[in-house]
Amino acid sequence: MSRRILPWLFLLPSAYAQPALAARDASAEAFARAGASRLLGVLGDKAAGPAQKDAAFHKAIDELADVPRVTHFVLGKYARTITPDQKRRFALAFRSYAERIYQGRLADYGGERVSVVGSVMRKPGDVIVATEISGGQLDRPVPVSWRVLQSPGGWRVVDVQFRGVWLAITQQQDFVATIDNAGGDVEVLINRLRSDAPVSVKRR
Amino acid sequence: MTLCSSSSPRRQALWLSAALLALCAPAAGVAQTLDDPAVRAPSAGGQRATQANADYDQDLDASAAPADPWEGFNRQAFKFNRGLDRYVTGPIGRGYMKITPKAVRHRVASVVNNLGEPGTAINDLAQGRPRAAGVTTSRFLINSTVGGLGLFDVGAKVGLEGHEADFGQTLGRYGAKSGRYVVLPLLGPTTVRDGAGRLVDTMTDPVALATAGGAKSFGMIRGGVTALDARANSDGFLRALDEAADPYAMMRSAYLQNRADMVRQARGGVQVLPDFDAARIEP
Repeated sequence: MSRRILPWLFLLPSAYAQPALAARDASAEAFARAGASRLLGVLGDKAAGPAQKDAAFHKAIDELADVPRVTHFVLGKYARTITPDQKRRFALAFRSYAERIYQGRLADYGGERVSVVGSVMRKPGDVIVATEISGGQLDRPVPVSWRVLQSPGGWRVVDVQFRGVWLAITQQQDFVATIDNAGGDVEVLINRLRSDAPVSVKRR
Repeated sequence: MTLCSSSSPRRQALWLSAALLALCAPAAGVAQTLDDPAVRAPSAGGQRATQANADYDQDLDASAAPADPWEGFNRQAFKFNRGLDRYVTGPIGRGYMKITPKAVRHRVASVVNNLGEPGTAINDLAQGRPRAAGVTTSRFLINSTVGGLGLFDVGAKVGLEGHEADFGQTLGRYGAKSGRYVVLPLLGPTTVRDGAGRLVDTMTDPVALATAGGAKSFGMIRGGVTALDARANSDGFLRALDEAADPYAMMRSAYLQNRADMVRQARGGVQVLPDFDAARIEP
């Protein structure tokens, strides 16, 4: 590099401001490592039939994710105003919807490996675990972060980040916009999430 | 000057790909995590309660309500772009995916990414990251030679991991707010800041400038291949849009989060994440 240019580089900020790194959390990392491997194992199990795979996926989600917390979260501001009956029906519709679409998407990733590369404890019981998924059909490692919260049953996943996008946050903004545009009618969202909803209704 | 004849095929392709395919989806936007370990570490994320703090920055808030006062127009443009993708660009992209083995598509993606490295290096420098610029420049030199004109990412094999940088991110790194969200017909989603950044990237792309005096077909071929590669890469996300309750809201959320994360990486700040138990978002 030219000697004339070099000094000017020192006028530039030497690097990004470093984020304040909090402590790693070994137990959350262990949970994420085991959980991600288990999930990919279920999805990549070529010996299992579709029904077996569905059942195994359902069981894995129950044990790895905090489904009630996520269900509450994705409703956003409407979680406060929804009736108990609507909440029950929404929970059923959302569970079925989420399993249907995420199982379909994740199925493409069967056979890959998951490695934990770090974690940050936001506060006790609230940790973001950074992982890399590699191998299989991927030509380069894909970073994926998992937000895990402590619950009475142990660590549970509440959100997953891929390429900067948090899935539960995206889901919340999707659902809240849907209800907003229906004048606050939660029934419109519930009907749209049902597995028997016609595709033309879902495609706008 | 049309998009196709302008001087920056890679950046054009980002426009075109974003555009023609209702693209710019985060799946295609592919803001890869920077190689800097400190940046790669997951953001701790502040609590929503910190919003009252003077340090609170909505641009780093993953769940902030989007600034979308042009939503009526944006939804029409989004609908137009999706229609175009359904009947024109989608079939072309899926046809490309069908007849081309994944290994070949990886090589194509590698060439496309390699041609974008000089632009990335310039933005690295502009962001005050000479080390990252050095890594990017080294990658470009190694991959263009030993890597067979970028066909193989030899740089990554020797520990020089790639990343993306653009001028919208550079502006954000120095504090420019993202501004309003806008969906442009043909060009897809962006914000005022990132749209301006794209223009600058398009006009200053080093590879395009260096080849401007050469064969015109190079720019067109590069733009076309880049658009095709971007469409293939974003296919999963575009399929996911079909399953959303409100595809427009999903695209907006994903795009803005992806860009916010790019800026967070450049600034080194922490991402503000919502409290899962509060279930509170902006009214």
